[in-house]
Amino acid sequence: MEMLVTYVQQVLIYGFVLGAIYLLISLGFSLICGVLRIFHLGYAYIFPVTVYCTWMFMKEFGWGLVSSMLGMVVIQFVLAWIIYIGIIKRYIEREEIQLTGLLLVALIVEQVANYFYPIQEAVYLSTTLKEGTVTIGSVVIPWQLLLGGIISLVMTGLFILFFLKTKEGMAVRAISQNIYTSEIVGINVEVLYVFIMMVVLLPVIIGMLLVAPIWNVEPGMGWLYQTTAILVAVLGGLGNIKGTILASFLIGLTHAVMCNILGEPRFMNLSALVLVMIILVIRPQGLARSESIW
Amino acid sequence: MVDIELKRERIVIRYKDKKWDWILEPRYWRNAILWTLVLLIFPAVCYFVSPGLINTMINANIYSAIAIPLGLMTIGTGRMNFGPNFYIGVGGYTAALLSIAYGWGPLMTLPFAIFTSIVSALVFSPLVIIARGLYYVLLTLLLPLVFLEVTFIYSDTFKGDTGLFGIVPLVDTGNAKINFLIVAYLSLTIMLVYLLAINKILKSRYGLIMATINDDEDVAHGIGVNINKVKIISFVAASGMIGIMGWFYAHYFSSFAGITYLPLTFMLKILLVMMIGGRAQIFGCVVGGYFVAFLETFLIRYLGPTQPIIFPVILMIFLFTLPEGLFGIWRKRRYREYLPTLHVRR
Repeated sequence: MEMLVTYVQQVLIYGFVLGAIYLLISLGFSLICGVLRIFHLGYAYIFPVTVYCTWMFMKEFGWGLVSSMLGMVVIQFVLAWIIYIGIIKRYIEREEIQLTGLLLVALIVEQVANYFYPIQEAVYLSTTLKEGTVTIGSVVIPWQLLLGGIISLVMTGLFILFFLKTKEGMAVRAISQNIYTSEIVGINVEVLYVFIMMVVLLPVIIGMLLVAPIWNVEPGMGWLYQTTAILVAVLGGLGNIKGTILASFLIGLTHAVMCNILGEPRFMNLSALVLVMIILVIRPQGLARSESIW
Repeated sequence: MVDIELKRERIVIRYKDKKWDWILEPRYWRNAILWTLVLLIFPAVCYFVSPGLINTMINANIYSAIAIPLGLMTIGTGRMNFGPNFYIGVGGYTAALLSIAYGWGPLMTLPFAIFTSIVSALVFSPLVIIARGLYYVLLTLLLPLVFLEVTFIYSDTFKGDTGLFGIVPLVDTGNAKINFLIVAYLSLTIMLVYLLAINKILKSRYGLIMATINDDEDVAHGIGVNINKVKIISFVAASGMIGIMGWFYAHYFSSFAGITYLPLTFMLKILLVMMIGGRAQIFGCVVGGYFVAFLETFLIRYLGPTQPIIFPVILMIFLFTLPEGLFGIWRKRRYREYLPTLHVRR
């Protein structure tokens, strides 16, 4: 009985923490799917840019951590704008070129990061909020992961408030439902598209900075995170925030079960992929309807 | 029985109520013959001048031989498959495992590689009917990644990290240069057979039906085409052909590692061969295959460590600047054949 309680505690706590971090990683991808109605296959580029640009400012220019992060955010915004203007907007009607081009962007960023800072460089960002571990019940968990989970929930809450309570948020929801009607009522679709491209970077950047000190950092890491983001977005119903939240925690729980109960971390990714495929067969539209972002 | 009739510009063959015709006019086959001759002479010349280029040519032929069936699949199913490398993995691992376990040569493993590719394609073929729009993109994109995960999980069997070694080589004459030359001609033969067969299919009545499905499924359905049947046949046949290239890789290198062929980067290369060559036009796939393979070799030779950055940048420029790919530059003057429109969101 005691064993069972321990297992349940482990699954719930690690499921929550992992799910919350997956939520940070996937929220941006899901919003791009929901608002811009495109499949951002270049999403993987955001992860290495976050880590390696911060590292570049710190190492090459001798900046402090906070100013390096600010510099990185500026670079992220500029890159997002260039990608929107140069690829997404230009090839909105030619999705085969758009998707291939976006994949190439992610590949180029990975190769640039690998050229300047190969894996032997041992890039490390000191973004740890609190050192050590905390014991909840019989479960020991790093403070950094727990705080990451809490920050993720706060961040998601802010996003939801923004979309539900602000005028701009309502305009974004209107675009996600019908672009032409939104234009008729005077919404500047173009400006909001660029705005969304930039605002979705925030959860990813925060998520990446939180996990950078404890998870593996290497130039090709973006592909793995992108796969997780795709799985969450599709499982939740492309572009729906409610579905994204649900799917993130579902995948987090699946991973926690694999690691803590079955003791087979090797099956983590496969189990999530199989779960998505099964749910897609039962509910092809995902867990939540995807006509609107909320 | 069989009635053969020689007309001014074509040979017409009739059997019962069936009719086949073969066009004799030089303007229809002259260029194809000339280019085939160039390709046939190239390895022999390289053998004496620069043997290293034979390897590049083999790679070019393999890229083309993967992209050509992918083009057929794209037209026949009316949507883009983002995971053709899954079937390379299936064909390659089948050949590799059988060869290592039983010491079988390439001729013995070939039927099994084809069989497993076709069976796995049949299993996943309902996707072309059920999965729509971006979901199809996602599912096809994820299939090779799932397979890659499996190769890591069952590392005892698939040797996920290092790959399988000790596969019986494709050719073994005892002379490495001659081996390369024979493999070059073999790869060229496979590529040309694929090219001719698929060109013939696309120009036939069946190809017209595929083009109709690609352009508008509802219209195709409205005029009485069994779209599900055509889509599944196109999907399965093309997957089988791609699986053969997995078999080729396994025996050519005498090793096979999923980590080389199953990640997104390899898929992206094949996708670019198809896109830069000629946006799913099958002759464009050959142009694209040769362009990508030779550009890669050239950049490795002259740029060294910056090659991984410059290579995708150049491909991206070509992707954005050539609306109909490299083949389209020549094709613009000769607008005759069907130009497929590629569909992602369907």
